[in-house]
Amino acid sequence: MTISSVILVVDDDPAIRDSLSKELRAAGYSTLTANDGIEGLSAVQSRGPDLVLTDLAMPRSDGFELIAAVRAFSRVPMIVLSVRGADPDKVRALDLGADDFVTKPFSVTELLARVRAQLRRTTSPPSSMLAFADLTVDVERRHVVQGGREVRLTPTEFSLLELLAANAGKPMFIEQIIARVWRSAPSTTADTVRVHMSSLRKKIEPDPSEPRYIVTEPWVGYRFIAEPL
Amino acid sequence: MKLLRSGPARWLLAIVSIAAVTTVGRVIGLNPSTVGFLYLIVVLLISVWGGLLVGTVSSIIATLCYNFFFFPPLYTFTIEEPANWFALAAFLVASVTVNRLVVAARVQAETAEQRRKELETLYGLSIDLFTATNRVGALGEAAGRALQLLGAREGGLVLFEGSSYRQKVIWWKGQKPDEIEDLIAGVGRHQEAVELPSPLGRDVYLPLIVGGKTSGALVARGTEASKQALESAARLVALAVERERFIEENAHVQALRESEALKTSLLRAISHDLTTPITAITIRTESLRRRAAADPDLLEDVAAIAAETDRLRRRIDNLLSMARLEAGKARPRREPTPPADLFRAVRENLPLVFAARPVTLHVDADCPDANVDPSLALEILVNLVENAHRVSPAGAPIELMARRHPLDPNKLRLEVLDRGPGLPPSVADADGNIATETSDVAQRGLGLEIARSLAAANGGMIGLAPRPGGGTIARIDLPAALLPVEEQA
Repeated sequence: MTISSVILVVDDDPAIRDSLSKELRAAGYSTLTANDGIEGLSAVQSRGPDLVLTDLAMPRSDGFELIAAVRAFSRVPMIVLSVRGADPDKVRALDLGADDFVTKPFSVTELLARVRAQLRRTTSPPSSMLAFADLTVDVERRHVVQGGREVRLTPTEFSLLELLAANAGKPMFIEQIIARVWRSAPSTTADTVRVHMSSLRKKIEPDPSEPRYIVTEPWVGYRFIAEPL
Repeated sequence: MKLLRSGPARWLLAIVSIAAVTTVGRVIGLNPSTVGFLYLIVVLLISVWGGLLVGTVSSIIATLCYNFFFFPPLYTFTIEEPANWFALAAFLVASVTVNRLVVAARVQAETAEQRRKELETLYGLSIDLFTATNRVGALGEAAGRALQLLGAREGGLVLFEGSSYRQKVIWWKGQKPDEIEDLIAGVGRHQEAVELPSPLGRDVYLPLIVGGKTSGALVARGTEASKQALESAARLVALAVERERFIEENAHVQALRESEALKTSLLRAISHDLTTPITAITIRTESLRRRAAADPDLLEDVAAIAAETDRLRRRIDNLLSMARLEAGKARPRREPTPPADLFRAVRENLPLVFAARPVTLHVDADCPDANVDPSLALEILVNLVENAHRVSPAGAPIELMARRHPLDPNKLRLEVLDRGPGLPPSVADADGNIATETSDVAQRGLGLEIARSLAAANGGMIGLAPRPGGGTIARIDLPAALLPVEEQA
């Protein structure tokens, strides 16, 4: 974790902005605040934060505009604060380039976990060894160990695991998965991904009733949920 | 003019004209050839004026007069010279032919004139129907005007309502006889025009057909208009009726769309406005909890605030789910969803329940994925787990199970098992199943009701059953998303 990471909080509601900033500071981050998309954009340009947390519904220039504008020049991780039931908004935000979302009302613990995951993903150098609790993925040797036992994966399953684990904490669209793992082979459908993902999950999850590594992300695709060590 | 055209006047005029020619011929002493021409001219005029019958009879009378007064021996119907026989025969043939030609020409002219008028009427009707009308009443008036112009003395426009040919009179001139109702229905059913003689002259019943469907009938009673003209009018009216219906439906759809858009934006606003303060409270409570770590009393209060906030959040979620169902927003967006992921989402949504008592999760190895709207399915489970939590004694476990449906391979069954007081035995049937429309609904409250509505929207259903050893099993049967059989890479 980068203790001195700077987080920009963009929300039109002062109660959320202030309480969130306070909790983030308590967790060791520095914070900046902005009232709407326009202020948020100028803060990203002038202060270069390490991560942006933004609401979607704001009176002047909303979260979607902010995401699109920021993505035009920066790859800074962005987490969206969405509300329940606004799933199309969530999907649109991810499509525009947001990295993750939390649904209001969220717990601070949950939010901090998402923040950590995004910061780690963008700050740690690419490694050939991906390590999680009870799971290691050796990318070079294409070797997977879960709970001390070696897991034999097909090449497709390994590619799936590698892609998801390397993007731990980030919701991955089915289309992205097809593009990366199957190189957009024309006959590949969501069902193809489902078949392989189901088989992969059976092999790596120690308890299929309580998944620890891979879960479906409604209307998006899949998400790797374990935190890297 | 009208008097001159009446029946007796025509006859009188014919007789007077022939008498006049005869008198003039006799008095002046004109030769038979000249008189013959004069008679021919008079027959021609009478034919123009009086029509075929008067013209033909006049031809015969003129022939007789010609013979009687001008061919010797005079004042007899006999003819001395054979040449005069030829003259008289030639005169008769000429006068009858002239009469027929004139009458034929006149009939043709009249028919052409009638067609012109009918066309004009139809043109006027089409303009009326397609430019002026924007309501069914105006349509009836336009059809009525057209019927009048087409010479109908009575009649009107009837539309059918529903498929039973129930009739609604849009416009009617004169008294609509009750007995024609069956006739109109028959015309609609068989989609064929019917033409009948009637006390008013001739009645025509025309179906209004567009795209193979009969929308009503046009009735012209006592009309002399051609069948083609009437059928053209019926086609125009049928198109206009269809257009009216389309406009009405379109307005209805537009109104629905607008009202849906309003509900959606209202929901979005409420959802945002209610969840924002709750988010702020949740964050502050967590902050408070962190700082109160050393003070057990304060920690207890904070925990109570957190629990109440969570309850409030759940109530708002329920409210929004119901409103979404009402607004038609909860049209499910189904996708394959593994039950284990649903259970995990339940845990994230109800952290306090999971902290307060043991909750075990079990998914059978052969359990298929559910083909459901994930957020609606989550809402169902969360409501049922909350209910189980509410009725269970402190510390009693709750179990969540997912398995293949015991009877239907295209379904899966999720179960929430509690050790609460269970269902009143009186309402359970022989198999131990109970109808959910019982007092249990009252015990389990709004949550069960919402869960049932959401399950129905997902193509599933919920049942409650007593659990062996005490407690209740809430069962949710949902459609399965079976994996396609595919070669593994």
